[in-house]
Amino acid sequence: MSIQHLITLLFWLATATLLAGLWRRSQLWRQGQSADFSWINLLAIPKRYFVDLHHVVSREPFIARTHVATAGGAVAALILVAINYGLMLYWNVLNWAILIATAIMLVGVFFVWLRRRNAPSRLSRGAWSRLPYSLAAFAIGLLVLSLPVSVLAGSVAVLALILLMAGSAELALGIGLGGPMKHAIAGLLHLAFHPRQQRFNGKLSTALKPIALDVITLENQEFGISKPSDFKWNQLLGFDACVQCGKCEAACPAFAAGQPLNPKKLIQDLVVGFSHDEKSSHDKNSKGTDAKFAGSPYPGMPIGEHSGSIHAPIVPSLIEAETLWSCTTCRACVQECPMLIEHVDAIVGLRRNLTLTKGELPGSAPQTLENLRQTATVGGFDRKARYYWAVDLNVKTIAPNIPVDILLIAGEGAFDMRYQRTLRALVKLLKAAKVDFALMGEYERDTGDTARRLGDEATFQKLAKLNIETLNSLSFKRIVTADPHVLHSLKNEYAAFGGNYEVLHHSTLLAQLAASGQLKLGKSDETRKLTYHDPCYLGRYNGETESPRALLKSIGIQVNEMERSGMRGRCCGGGGGAPLTDIPGKQRIPDIRIADARTIGAEVVAVGCPQCTAMLEGVVGNRPEILDIAQLLASTLELES
Amino acid sequence: MRYPHLFTPITLNKLVLPNRIYSTAHAEVYAEAGGMPGERYIKYYEEKAKGGLGLAICGGSSPVSIDVPQGSWKPVNLTTDRVIEPLSRLAEAMHRHGSKIMIQATHMGRRSAYAGEPWPHLVSPSGVREPVHRGNAKAIEIEDIHRIIGDFAAAAKRVQAAGMDGIEISAAHQHLIDQFWSPRTNQRTDEYGGSLENRMRFGMQVLNAVRDAVGADFCVGLRMCADEFHDDGLDPETLKNIAQIMSESGLIDFISVIGSGADTHNKVANCMPSMALPPEPFVHLAAGIKSVSKVPILHAQGIRDVTQAERIIANGLVDMVGMTRAHIADPHMIVKIRDGREDQIRQCVGANYCIDRQYLGQDVLCVQNAATSRESTMPQVVSKSKGEKRRVIVVGAGPAGLEAARVSAERGHEVILFERNASVGGQVNLAAKAPQREQMAGIIRWFDMETNRLGVDRRLGVAADAAMILAEKPSIVVLATGGSSHSGQVPAWGVAEGLAVSSWDILSERVAPGKNVLIYDGIGTHAGFGTADFMASRGSQVEIVTPDPKVADDVGGTTFPIFYRRLYSQGIIPTPNFWLDSVYAEKDKDGRDKKIAVLRNEYTETLEEREVDQVVIENGSTPNTELYWALKELSKNHGQTDIKTLFDAEPQPTLGQKLNDGEFLLFRIGDCVSMHNIHGAIYDALRLCKDF
Repeated sequence: MSIQHLITLLFWLATATLLAGLWRRSQLWRQGQSADFSWINLLAIPKRYFVDLHHVVSREPFIARTHVATAGGAVAALILVAINYGLMLYWNVLNWAILIATAIMLVGVFFVWLRRRNAPSRLSRGAWSRLPYSLAAFAIGLLVLSLPVSVLAGSVAVLALILLMAGSAELALGIGLGGPMKHAIAGLLHLAFHPRQQRFNGKLSTALKPIALDVITLENQEFGISKPSDFKWNQLLGFDACVQCGKCEAACPAFAAGQPLNPKKLIQDLVVGFSHDEKSSHDKNSKGTDAKFAGSPYPGMPIGEHSGSIHAPIVPSLIEAETLWSCTTCRACVQECPMLIEHVDAIVGLRRNLTLTKGELPGSAPQTLENLRQTATVGGFDRKARYYWAVDLNVKTIAPNIPVDILLIAGEGAFDMRYQRTLRALVKLLKAAKVDFALMGEYERDTGDTARRLGDEATFQKLAKLNIETLNSLSFKRIVTADPHVLHSLKNEYAAFGGNYEVLHHSTLLAQLAASGQLKLGKSDETRKLTYHDPCYLGRYNGETESPRALLKSIGIQVNEMERSGMRGRCCGGGGGAPLTDIPGKQRIPDIRIADARTIGAEVVAVGCPQCTAMLEGVVGNRPEILDIAQLLASTLELES
Repeated sequence: MRYPHLFTPITLNKLVLPNRIYSTAHAEVYAEAGGMPGERYIKYYEEKAKGGLGLAICGGSSPVSIDVPQGSWKPVNLTTDRVIEPLSRLAEAMHRHGSKIMIQATHMGRRSAYAGEPWPHLVSPSGVREPVHRGNAKAIEIEDIHRIIGDFAAAAKRVQAAGMDGIEISAAHQHLIDQFWSPRTNQRTDEYGGSLENRMRFGMQVLNAVRDAVGADFCVGLRMCADEFHDDGLDPETLKNIAQIMSESGLIDFISVIGSGADTHNKVANCMPSMALPPEPFVHLAAGIKSVSKVPILHAQGIRDVTQAERIIANGLVDMVGMTRAHIADPHMIVKIRDGREDQIRQCVGANYCIDRQYLGQDVLCVQNAATSRESTMPQVVSKSKGEKRRVIVVGAGPAGLEAARVSAERGHEVILFERNASVGGQVNLAAKAPQREQMAGIIRWFDMETNRLGVDRRLGVAADAAMILAEKPSIVVLATGGSSHSGQVPAWGVAEGLAVSSWDILSERVAPGKNVLIYDGIGTHAGFGTADFMASRGSQVEIVTPDPKVADDVGGTTFPIFYRRLYSQGIIPTPNFWLDSVYAEKDKDGRDKKIAVLRNEYTETLEEREVDQVVIENGSTPNTELYWALKELSKNHGQTDIKTLFDAEPQPTLGQKLNDGEFLLFRIGDCVSMHNIHGAIYDALRLCKDF
């Protein structure tokens, strides 16, 4: 048998191995719950790969180029091998093409190796560390073998063949055995069967999906996610796409604060959970462990002490509750993930089980949920106290028979004297713009945002339905709010319950009013160095990063950007009920954010969210002043008058 | 939620108020000729509205009838339709900022001095004389009663026509209505005297007439006392009875309660409790009224702090708290609370400079805030300069220097403050040493915090000399070096020889109080008696001698009674109308060293001698001018302040001049020019530095 025929044999053997492995892996995914999907989306993979995925990867040009060379070279080489050797053509010209492809791949692999030599801590080691070598083996083996036959000595060919076999094994066995290269197959399939298909239409998809609350219809009579098999199958597929690049880890505010959360490990723990099949083991109670995880642990939690399996409860044996309660739902991990994995959906799913089935929440979260149930406010306040701050402002309150253009919904911040300053400033601006607006007054209930993030879907849905009922009885054209959490709930999450409204963040509305000339702003006398902190629920959740900046610019304020800003802004620590669950860490998230501001010498941090305001103002010691966009804008009106 | 009770709105009739703090009716002494509120009056109230106050009741003791003389406290004249237009401007100014405004209306009865225009015969239920104002009065006749009831109704209509938000009828401080209530002043035998019902008849008729005049939806309140503190006066039980009947009458929407009568000097001092009284001394009386009242209870008296106010409301003692002097000290108090800037509130210390001026017939001013009631010319909020950033050196951190440093820093300048002593405060630190005067230190506490907050470069414990100042290359030097004790004015007092010591020596504890002491007070303000009290409290036998007609002659109507309570209870011997001629040393018959003080009677020239262990001189201060003379000729303006522009609140002309390298302007303010009081020192600084 010639070397050519050996390569053909090797190719088909590898292909068969890969397909067998894929079938085996797909059996693991299919342990998950059914989910709507369409086979046709397989055709969308190239576009989604080259547009949506590349959009994320290209943020780091070095690794993007490395991946283009490595994966591009490898895919080209594999296609060429499939044609030339798979179909037994054995054309020399194709061998030259293979040689070029593998050479390109080898260049890429060199950079992979280079990077691995000085790898940032977010990158996993372990099996991933061998990748430069196994990929190099593949590339070198194939390169050598595609040289003209005459130059090859027999022993060199044998050596090259062995290298090729070793390299091919990495590719062929990866999916079946769960090696690093499974990311290639699972990643591509994840693009096709992603649980949030809207992401690929150039839109944001950030609303949590409702779950049915009728216990009788649920298997196991449990709400939310208890065990790996409770995830949808395509969520499990998504977890398998993880390349352990640790971009999520680097972006995670809880990880940075030393709280026991690392989104990357969370995904890997779930992979451990669903990929360990207790039935195939001799011991029915056997579990897979996290011992092989070769990345950063959850801060403060050693690796190797947790284990799980497909039908075993995840909390606490595989993942501790503290890990889940550390999350601020800021979506920085999702934003950073090159494989488009949805970490927050997984965490909220798991929280729903803890909250709705077990009633186990730490800190003041239980009290908060009780407050929401009993008073429809987070703090347990008298609802009519929400608009006490507006008594002397001569603003009308909406009523069923009073139609207005704009309904102002204040949110929980209205109970706080600090945020009342923002609201008063907003009212002043709306008055200056002669907007026809009214306050929501006693009609307003909490939107349920916090309840939902804490996993209390029941309270959220109850509040949502009550609010929708109220809103539908009122006559208004648009809603404005200074609270991005209110914005997100009303705009994105109420639609699932029949509430469809045009909802604007105050910065968006004010930018519109300023642009149209209806709101005439002066020039700010603010001379201090200013930065703008993007609220997660405004930026990442709603894509609004420009209006606040445009407004600040329009009053003559230069925004000095922090390293993490816009869609990649760092969380203040205030979302997802995290201040309520209050999981201990080494430092507090807002301290880190203020350190970001200090790093660029900012003396003022402009904000647009009551949570961010409260969290950042909670930083003790000398710190920049925190001012809402509305306050900065309203102060220019005073100068004018 | 911060201050949840204080910031819970309250509804009075149809008025919804945003918070539970209000400014009570008080005599401002600002009304212009004919009793009309003018620009100063309106701006004084508008500033409170800008500061977030929900409700102000203006016009303390605004008379409804023409037989109430108005000369001595310049009230708002509600007897004429001419008042409607200026009142409507006031209402409009308040409403522009979301505030509400009411006015107090009253007939003073006997509580006036007849000896002024229009020289009326005062009226009182039984013609009993009022001692404080020397108010001789006739017994009121039925015709007068009917006339005055009509006057109340007409005044209420005027108030309503002006767009004001309500009217408060005064039955407190022994005005005519409570002169009818009180057995002290009502000995009538007709239907207006005798039984409580009869004694209440006049007040009820007034309220009925007022309600008829303004209709059901206009806010009408009643101000009343909760205990006259006289054996023959109204006691708390009777007043609770009255309050209950009034509250159930359907005629009034709130009752504003005050503790203590006001028809003797000693009782007047209770009405506006100074720093000598405990906080909120009479809130229990108001709470007693609240326990029987169907309408909200408002109460003021010694409530100066926001947490104190929150506690009073939270405990349900009353429904709203009056913080009037607190707003005189800082009209932006509410907005500072709302902004979380409580530390920046200039807190009233209860020095009663405001009310003591009023009792002298002078306009109300604040001891520590020179901008209050001067809103047309002086800023409550000092704005940043749009001009060049200057290097300002202030020497001396007494009240003048602190205010100069504060205002200059607010203007955005680079400020260096030199102070010879280790702490800021100057003579106020001495003033705060006197018993029951400790809160004077609160004035300095605010300046201390503000100058720190504003980043003033404070060089404490550094006695600056000309070379040090020039080395800093200033563009402006403000000297506020204060004064030194003027106990050396008369050589025969023997201070240089050690025969006498100064009050400064005693208060600063450089010299221990002697056993048998004569204090000579040549000034008559708080320092002399404060020193006497300081020494008596430490066991000295004290005689205080002054050439004035009485001890502490220059301290005002609510302060001298407090001093006299202590004077008599401590056994201090008051000797007015004597000069101190000289002091000499002598040994007594047991051979002990004694001082002989030679006193000379102002009116008879008779000489008297006192044998004591220690003679203490309080003679004010003499300016510290050394630094001024050292710098004067080096400065571009020769140290001159242009007083025409200063008095007109205009920028100093020299500020517009270009300064070359090494050139600087020199100004001096406060006691280092000539002895002024705290207000004078602060005003000097504010009016000069506001334009830096």
